[in-house]
Amino acid sequence: MDPVKITIDGKEVVTTKGKTVIQAADEIGVSIPRYCYHPKLSIAGNCRMCMVEIEKMPKLQIACNTQVAEGMSVLTQSPKVLAVRKAVLEFLLINHPVDCPICDQAGECFLQDYYMQHDRQASRFDVGKVHDRKKTIFGPNVVFDGERCIKCTRCVRFCQEITKTDELTVINRGDHSTIALFDDAVLDNPLSANVVDICPVGALTDRDFRFKVRVWYLQKTPSICPGCSTGCNISAETYQNRIARFKPRINEAVNSHWLCDEGRYCFHDLAGGERLTTPMIRQEGGLVPTTWEKALRAVYSGLKSAQPVAGILSGRNTNEEAFLFAKLVKKLAADYALEVFYQERELTQVQKILMSPDRSPNFRGARAMGVSTNGGFDALMQKLIAGSFSSAYVVGEDLVASAAEPDQARTALQKLPFLVVQDTRVTETVKLAHVVLPATHFGEKDGTYTNRQGRLQKLNAALIPPEGALQDSEILMRLLDLAGEKNGSATTAEIFAALSREVSAYANIDYDSIGDQGIELEAAVAENHDR
Amino acid sequence: METILLRNVGVADSHMLATYAGRGGYRSWQKVVESMKPAELIDEVKASGLRGRGGAGFPTGMKWSFVPKDNPKPKYLVCNADESEPGTFKDRLLIEQDPHAVIEGTLISAYAIQSHTAFIYIRGEMVYGATRLERAVEEAYRAGFIGKNIFGSGYDLDLIVHRGAGAYICGEETALLSSLEGSRGWPKLKPPFPATHGLFGCPTVVNNVETLAALPWIIERGAPAYAAIGTEKSKGTKLFSVSGHIAKPGVYELEMGYPFKKFLEEDCGGVPGGKKLKGVIPGGGSMPVMLPDEIDKVNLDYESVQAAGSLLGSGGVIVMDESTCMVRAALNLSRFFAHESCGQCSPCREGCHWMEKILHRIEYGQGEQGDLDLILNIAGNIAGNTICPFGDAAAWPPGAFIRKFRGEFEAHVAEKRCTVG
Repeated sequence: MDPVKITIDGKEVVTTKGKTVIQAADEIGVSIPRYCYHPKLSIAGNCRMCMVEIEKMPKLQIACNTQVAEGMSVLTQSPKVLAVRKAVLEFLLINHPVDCPICDQAGECFLQDYYMQHDRQASRFDVGKVHDRKKTIFGPNVVFDGERCIKCTRCVRFCQEITKTDELTVINRGDHSTIALFDDAVLDNPLSANVVDICPVGALTDRDFRFKVRVWYLQKTPSICPGCSTGCNISAETYQNRIARFKPRINEAVNSHWLCDEGRYCFHDLAGGERLTTPMIRQEGGLVPTTWEKALRAVYSGLKSAQPVAGILSGRNTNEEAFLFAKLVKKLAADYALEVFYQERELTQVQKILMSPDRSPNFRGARAMGVSTNGGFDALMQKLIAGSFSSAYVVGEDLVASAAEPDQARTALQKLPFLVVQDTRVTETVKLAHVVLPATHFGEKDGTYTNRQGRLQKLNAALIPPEGALQDSEILMRLLDLAGEKNGSATTAEIFAALSREVSAYANIDYDSIGDQGIELEAAVAENHDR
Repeated sequence: METILLRNVGVADSHMLATYAGRGGYRSWQKVVESMKPAELIDEVKASGLRGRGGAGFPTGMKWSFVPKDNPKPKYLVCNADESEPGTFKDRLLIEQDPHAVIEGTLISAYAIQSHTAFIYIRGEMVYGATRLERAVEEAYRAGFIGKNIFGSGYDLDLIVHRGAGAYICGEETALLSSLEGSRGWPKLKPPFPATHGLFGCPTVVNNVETLAALPWIIERGAPAYAAIGTEKSKGTKLFSVSGHIAKPGVYELEMGYPFKKFLEEDCGGVPGGKKLKGVIPGGGSMPVMLPDEIDKVNLDYESVQAAGSLLGSGGVIVMDESTCMVRAALNLSRFFAHESCGQCSPCREGCHWMEKILHRIEYGQGEQGDLDLILNIAGNIAGNTICPFGDAAAWPPGAFIRKFRGEFEAHVAEKRCTVG
């Protein structure tokens, strides 16, 4: 890594050999406008937006493909540079429909932003725009508008270089150039919607998100994808207390710039549907609403008197919840078993780029908190089916629907003398419960997940839970209160502090220091909890 | 003057190996393989002063010398036979009439960079030429000039004729390489340059047909003989394709530095029908047009034409007499470039069509005040701002036409009709 000294707009910068001018500028926060350049894709150099003036070079150079050299002097704001930016923007806009009022990209569009920063002139083009295909379906998640496309080829390169699935290409020439699917191809690879994220304009939009909400109304909460144990960093973007979309958040240690389609849209399943908002208790003829007070007392006495207890926690529960859950079950029952829900499936090569075989984002963390006793979830389910338990406390998972043989699971749960189900929606498992506790999902809670690499990452509440439901941690603390362990109403940070004192892998970590990029737990500890 | 490039053109069966070999063909190739080291060959061609005839005029020997010798990857030599520049048809003549000279030059060039696989990338429309080349390559293989262990030297070389699919841009060397690789014919970013990262990412040299066809003569007669012809910086002879309003159109071989005016008036018989010369494009459609008085003192060599504000380019001389509507001529060229823009870089992709559309409305009586300055401004915004020189090539003609015939363009706008003739 040889150091190279250059100046950018008169400012001295020490960077390293092999870097390009645009990278060196990015490092010091000088933003050179760009369309085709993307740090994770090959250099295309075609948009010509990043041209800069370099001393001793007769022509302007593209910053994305010019390597730094000792003593190089770069100007990013010279009259020549500003003139060419304006010219390039004009070229990009002459055949653009300028349909911002009906375009989903409006508000996060590089054409809009750069036009305001660098162009700001009335159109000089009055000779008839080129027309192209509108609302062309590229795949299940992506739709293309050819007229808005600036042919930067980021999408084409993504499919060539990241997924290596090669669905897209450029066809035709000149101003009739356009992006198209290869014959018989469908843009349906497991990462397909990333092309929407990297499209700098409104050419590729998200079929799920489009027309739902203007992006400037979105509230953006940094969080973690609950789809699997990869723990991709996301921005959970909400509107009127609903999740409108997930966007990937850059984290080079985890997901780089990407997010898989399964994760991106998993909030529909996990946060959608009719919510449970009243605790219920089984009486003659079925489940009837009750108060929290009565429901929790019933749980407390029910579990205490129906041992052995099987405690099954969702892999989407946080470390803090897992810590309280393990503590509670151990406190209530001398005879118990604890496991985190875990199921694996086969993944294709492309899926493996990001996805983990499980769907339990905090599987490793929950086990570290003690939600693990007898050799795994499958073994515990076998025992449950064999009738070895007198009661079960199931949090956040529909054991019936997820079972390989649902009828078998249903019969086993039905036979249990006492079943508590804590969930957000009415599921097949909820219908069998003796006590139902309405709780919260990943989008409504603060806390931490530990991903498959042993990286501790922060979940932030993006939504307000519905009236009547309680946070899982609140429920668990109230039950612990009944069991004689006074927690008061501890905050997430306080619960984390408690678990940090008790669980060695998490020792000496301050909740507030975890940050938006997470922190890596000691590698050895992470390995211990790997299946 | 002794002809170098056209020495076999016009001879009966000039395309056959027997004819070519009977006239001394492939002796240079034998000499190179049997007695010259690649470095000697490169020095010889450097000393001859031969410059690339594709349009840019880059010294050929120097181009070869950029190929790294210690690179373990295969090296490729590509003969650029994608002649597509408007008004240029010299390579076609050589390919059709003297294919073995093109092949021999290709082999010599391949040897200079120690390539074992060479390609001739021929323009898709040149079906006849491709057929001739393929037959000639077959003949040369059978005669042992191409293939394994050439002349018992242990040197192996294969030669593949590859037909393009009909795109002007594939004459640009990096677009040609993209096309040859089986990709879309898009120019590549430089750096890296083809000499180190060319075909399939391997060291590659691309030489024009005419450049290569001069090599057998240079080897046969020696560099000093070639360097004795022409001017101080433009050595040897060059082919000129003459078309348009001229009495004797065709392909001419001239010593570099030949007076332009004398050439048009004496060798080519001048403008026919007693009409006056109005303008002439000296180096193919992409080069700036020149006025009659501008060519008076110009000689046909790289430096002289450049000093007069245009470029020698491919040597495609397009002659226009006084009956020519310069708006229509500019529109014609502009339409060509708009159609051929590959679409990769924003300025060229969008700007070429924009200029064409404005020129179109001027020509058809709907021009507006300010259109001319707008075209000049657009042309200025394209030139120099693209990956490959196509942007310049597309921007220069309308710019030059408007600057040099501004009155005529203004009259079109003002009177809303053509005012010529």
